[in-house]
Amino acid sequence: MPTMRCSVIVTCVALAALSLPLRAQELTLPLKTGSVRFAVIGDMGDGTKQQYTVAGQMVAYHSKFPFDFVIMLGDNLIGRKNPADYEKKFELPYKALLDAGVKFYATLGNHDVSNERFYKLFNMNGQQYYTYKKGNVRFFVLDSNYMNPQQIEWLEKELQNSGSDWKICYFHHPLYSSGAYHGSSVELRLLLEPLFIKYGVQVVFSGHDHVYERVKPQKGIHYFTEGSSGELRKGNLRKTDLTAAGYDQDRTFMLVEIAGDEFYFQTISRTGLTVDSGMIQRTPKTAASLLPVRRGHSGSPERTVAKAIGVELTRAPTAAR
Amino acid sequence: MKRRIRVTHHLLWLSLLVFVAPGFAGHKRQPQDSEAVRDFKPFIERVQAYVKMQKSLETSLPTLKPTKDPAQIVEYQQALARKIADARRGAHQGDIFTHEATERIRKIIRKTFAGPEGRRARKTMQQDTPFKVVTLHVNDAFPENIPLTTTPPTLMLKLPELPPELAYRFVGRDLVLKDTKAELVVDLIPNALP
Repeated sequence: MPTMRCSVIVTCVALAALSLPLRAQELTLPLKTGSVRFAVIGDMGDGTKQQYTVAGQMVAYHSKFPFDFVIMLGDNLIGRKNPADYEKKFELPYKALLDAGVKFYATLGNHDVSNERFYKLFNMNGQQYYTYKKGNVRFFVLDSNYMNPQQIEWLEKELQNSGSDWKICYFHHPLYSSGAYHGSSVELRLLLEPLFIKYGVQVVFSGHDHVYERVKPQKGIHYFTEGSSGELRKGNLRKTDLTAAGYDQDRTFMLVEIAGDEFYFQTISRTGLTVDSGMIQRTPKTAASLLPVRRGHSGSPERTVAKAIGVELTRAPTAAR
Repeated sequence: MKRRIRVTHHLLWLSLLVFVAPGFAGHKRQPQDSEAVRDFKPFIERVQAYVKMQKSLETSLPTLKPTKDPAQIVEYQQALARKIADARRGAHQGDIFTHEATERIRKIIRKTFAGPEGRRARKTMQQDTPFKVVTLHVNDAFPENIPLTTTPPTLMLKLPELPPELAYRFVGRDLVLKDTKAELVVDLIPNALP
């Protein structure tokens, strides 16, 4: 009799676990023809059961939203880096996606080693920082562990030469973060933000703080922290004036769709709940809008800069916490 | 007329310098005075000699290209580290960070961490990891299980530029010169952080 009761409980738990993701899996992205589609994960490489569950959820969403690639925000391999660790912390959790031809583009976190750049499945091509293009989007991948003058000069040159409609940067350390454990990387911000403004970067992704946060546009730029795709610091998000939306109760990943001038995003928890979603509208920039902000100029400097780089948030966030 | 054009031309350049230069000043390497250049010269020469040696040892190994096999990456790193450690068996702390360079670097670090940028630079480092005490020696493998401490970008603007084969890294309070391919401690300045 106790055995039977036990099996009933186990069945109920299993059914509940199964039904939760099924109930929650709703796609808010528009699936427009010819759009650029990708997923975002950060601080995932710990090889834990939770990393595998998030990966499973990504696979489930991939069938509804067939994204072509995944951007990795660093801490790709946490702890040891033996060949077996590459398997346990990357190849096995994302096997279904890799088998489906999904590409992963990694950046290095503070738990990574620089030789990960030679691992073909991270698509870094032996470079610590690099750039690539997908449709009308140019991605700039930086190594924020070691922001030396050579890297900054390289970034400026690449930004200057890019004619893409969308310029997206990603690296490990967030320039703005309300995470209590790490917080904003102010020194890095002082170096990078002027370049982002000058050359019209619209969106920046980072990890490091093991929470999800969408920051209110800063000088017209949209910052996302996605550092909870494996690791989690539950309750670590100290919501501040910076926070537009945030989630620190479970692990998450993001889905992004860029269609023309529209950037749609959806943030999904380990159990399949949508914890944030929205759309960012890009307005094509003109030569005149690149004029520097001056005193006495009509409108706030932030608004002027936002206009100059061609972005505005058109929809209120649907954040949940 | 020609003079007026010349004056206007000069004024234009001047205004360009006044308005554009401060914007770039934030991320340009700071020029060093002649004494610093003199003190760093032997250090830079030793760095160059190290890179030359590393490259020549690399030729005896199969070229490391992007690979799907992580074992190849790990084996390459370990084989290169062994070769370098063998070639530098008698190497000591201070062989590359010469006495003059060490003193100069200590001074730069002290100044960076004491100045108005100091708090930010310190925060950059503390953000990543508590100051873990790991005792390192020349030719040790760089510890892979502890998180990397971000080298403050403002400090890097003041230190001599390194080739991509080497990097400045802080471990605890020590400044380590790290081989980025062999993941090896090439040299170090103990207690470099004030």
